[in-house]
Amino acid sequence: MTKSTISRRNFLKMAGATLGVVAAGQMLPPAVAEAARRHNLIDADGDGYIPTLCEMCVWRCGVRAKVVKGRVVKLEGNPEHPHSLGRLCARGQSGLMTTYDPDRVLHPLIRVGKRGEGKFRQASWDEALDLVAKNMREIQEKYGPQAMVFSSTHNLSQVQFENLLNGYGSPNYGTQRSLCFNAMVTAFLLTYGIEEPARNYDNVKYILLVGRNLTEAISTSETTALMDAVARGAKLVYLDPRFTKTAAKATEWIPIRPGADAAFLLAMIHVIVTERIGDCDFVKQYVVGCTDLPTAMAEYTPEWAETKTGVPADTIRRIAREFAAARHFALAHPGWRTSNFVNSFQTERAIATLNAIIGNVFEPNGCLIAASPEASGVPLGKPPQPPYPRVTAQRLDGVPWKYPLVPLKLGVFQEMRDAILTGQPYQAHGWFIARQNPVLSLPDRNRTLEALGKLDFIVTVDVVLSDTAWFSDVVLPEASYLERYDPLAVVGGKIFVRQPVIEPQGEARSALWIYKQLGERLGLGDYFQYADEEDYIRQQLAPLGLDLEQLKQKGYVEPPPKENGSEKTDYVFNTPSGKIEVYSETLAKAGFSPWPAWEEPPVPAPGAFYLLTGKVGQHTQMGTQNNQYLHKVQDEPRLWINPEAAKGLGLNDRDLVEVTSPVGNVRVALQVTPAIRPDCVYLTPGFGHLSKGLTTAYGVGASDSVLHVTYTDPISGGQALSQTFVTMKKG
Amino acid sequence: MATKKRYGFVIDISRCIDCRACLVACSAENNVGMQYTRIWVKDTGVKGEFPKLTRTFVPYNCMHCENPPCVEVCVSGATYKDKDTGLVLVDQEACIGCGYCVEACPYDARYLDRARGVVDKCTGCIQRVLVGQQPACVTTCVGKARLFGDLNDPNSEVSVALKNAKAVQRLDYEKNGVDTDPNIYFINGEIDDPSIQPRDPRYTFAQESWKTLLVPAVLAGIGLSFVGQATFFAKQLMEGEKEFEE
Repeated sequence: MTKSTISRRNFLKMAGATLGVVAAGQMLPPAVAEAARRHNLIDADGDGYIPTLCEMCVWRCGVRAKVVKGRVVKLEGNPEHPHSLGRLCARGQSGLMTTYDPDRVLHPLIRVGKRGEGKFRQASWDEALDLVAKNMREIQEKYGPQAMVFSSTHNLSQVQFENLLNGYGSPNYGTQRSLCFNAMVTAFLLTYGIEEPARNYDNVKYILLVGRNLTEAISTSETTALMDAVARGAKLVYLDPRFTKTAAKATEWIPIRPGADAAFLLAMIHVIVTERIGDCDFVKQYVVGCTDLPTAMAEYTPEWAETKTGVPADTIRRIAREFAAARHFALAHPGWRTSNFVNSFQTERAIATLNAIIGNVFEPNGCLIAASPEASGVPLGKPPQPPYPRVTAQRLDGVPWKYPLVPLKLGVFQEMRDAILTGQPYQAHGWFIARQNPVLSLPDRNRTLEALGKLDFIVTVDVVLSDTAWFSDVVLPEASYLERYDPLAVVGGKIFVRQPVIEPQGEARSALWIYKQLGERLGLGDYFQYADEEDYIRQQLAPLGLDLEQLKQKGYVEPPPKENGSEKTDYVFNTPSGKIEVYSETLAKAGFSPWPAWEEPPVPAPGAFYLLTGKVGQHTQMGTQNNQYLHKVQDEPRLWINPEAAKGLGLNDRDLVEVTSPVGNVRVALQVTPAIRPDCVYLTPGFGHLSKGLTTAYGVGASDSVLHVTYTDPISGGQALSQTFVTMKKG
Repeated sequence: MATKKRYGFVIDISRCIDCRACLVACSAENNVGMQYTRIWVKDTGVKGEFPKLTRTFVPYNCMHCENPPCVEVCVSGATYKDKDTGLVLVDQEACIGCGYCVEACPYDARYLDRARGVVDKCTGCIQRVLVGQQPACVTTCVGKARLFGDLNDPNSEVSVALKNAKAVQRLDYEKNGVDTDPNIYFINGEIDDPSIQPRDPRYTFAQESWKTLLVPAVLAGIGLSFVGQATFFAKQLMEGEKEFEE
């Protein structure tokens, strides 16, 4: 636990003062309270529970918010939501403190000092929106719409964000996916035709996690399901250069050499296909390339893999046999953040193949479900809108002209930053950023800051002064997830709503409102044909004949049952062949290996270390470090180093060291621990904030982004976050 | 002490992932000050030599002992074991913040909230339990490591979990004439690590003197003043209440 910058009592005073201005004489302001009363969610005193959706990470659990006299006092997991099943993780539990963060931005801000100086003045919405629209129009007229870059990731309001950028006519859409799961998504799209297969732990007996640190990179219901499976006696094999909390729960931890996961998995495939212990019937019927697979995998013997991974050949052989023996009850997890090495795409292809050759991809018995968990099959409505203007300009991130296989909606974020900096193939002039933090998320922070310097205009939508907002010209205050509506979310066949449980504080407004206001000022009103947030949701529900009032009451509605309930007997995959493409003609045509293949990763020079990154259970990326509850329960973010390596450098626990990579250096305290390989160091991401507007997070830890070198996988566009090598000295 | 219900916790050590959802849930539910916590996840740290390593997480809070040493040393009567629920509670209106109970607790399960001048601790979320909910830490536990219920009821979730457990351990403090008889049962894991063991209660000289000298003296004082008042009252009764009549 680390220092607390503010006592709860002071915090309550401050929050109370803020709220007091809004509420003035009325504990719960009208709109939200009246609706909640009408639905018997709260009583006459304003006390009760209101169902909504979490936004402390992208898993989006169902929440029941306890409200007392117009204040959120406690969040509970909604037992009826498949992602929470009544539970919330530390981040979900802490969500009210993100809403009541004393550092919340509650009014539009316009920069008055130099960029990065943090000097802003409060402005009215009209003034701020007019200024944004004026700048965006000027850029459009002077340089064309492509000179304006838009970025935002995975919010429920994304669909209207996309309307803004597509209506405006820019091809430059930056998601942060390439820093996260491009390798996984691209590999599974090419192999199965789906972005991310769902996992089924109901009957699983053998689980292979390749760096998927599920007890720290928590997806609540999935983490619970994993722990249930382990308690039932399922075997958990975990590959990671670090002894994480997941490793502590694993039956077998394999401290594999970084970058060598693919070698381990290819050797497993080799064993299974040469010993013919997979599901041959399944493979013949559903997999492309099955006859040639043994030949294609011939060189990947366990003995060969031992030289790459440092894992004994016998161990690999045994695990391959155990995995195949568990058959439909085995699961090789697809992973999540798979941006580790430029060969991570091959790792993911090998995982996809491993699942295919044991035939586990069918419901109800299989442990991997060849359907995306987000594929809803529920035909929601949408406000009417005209077609988008035709865009002819190239994308700055090189998709598809440089990266032909990267899906447009994923993109290559780090490449976009580099294009802003170099002005190639053309110069960008403005950046519209919605609750994203490229300053801290992108590799090579110095380079990102330099790129920001090339832009005429930067506007950020956020709930606090993130590092990116700190460097912006205008900051638009979004209502927190407990204060606003968003478009609907379909999970497990049910339609869930995020609805306000309290009135927005200050002048904060929903993204739906902000985008519409801006759209109208840009002459794009036709893309925003909704009167307000409730009207938007009503239009979504209209084709189903469902009612918003009903939805607000329970937090979800079930759509009417579909007419044909016929079971699929013969599965067709959404790939060119309709089968699982272990052999991919698409890859071959693009000039890449059609088979899952080994690509030799770089290794550190003598005296240098792999710099590893990874999650902790108490934070989400770089966005939650200012939450006082999470700050209270977090570990001090120190640099992990193995005792043997520390001894070699004459360093001790808690020593302050200067860590140097090819692109930057940071000072950070050491944590000497045997929980990491001697050739690696590890730093928790999301610390080392630059924004002094984050009074809790500022001054804590160091940023791994300062050290990360930009390396991009040419197939998936994924950034290789573990491919940076560092040296260190006492400092 | 026999109570109507005997609420306690069963902790499945094998299931704790140290995510600390329980810590945040507790702080939010009970308005715990930012520098304090009522509950913990004890961590043995990484043991062994690379790559043969282990690490154990042990959810931890007030043991709601059958014989709580904290109740024993409380000078104001603020700390008590609730007769209905068996939970060990602090009446913070009555607490004078002397902190003796903090020193006496072998589990370090209490703290002195300096801002408020009172002792605070896990209450088993009695405010939730009395309306049929589980404590906040239990409800949200992502690994399902924390269970709570009436140990007197053979059909409660905790009793059933104990029945089915392979190994059950407690952190009983049984020394120097004290036997805490705690109501947290740990299953499916080891709690032998020194970092998790109870410590000897600390009794300060002041505390000892308070208990042995001051308390009797004060009680005697109160007694004497009562006798004095009674005498005065009796005298008044006998003499009538002339001065109160108008």
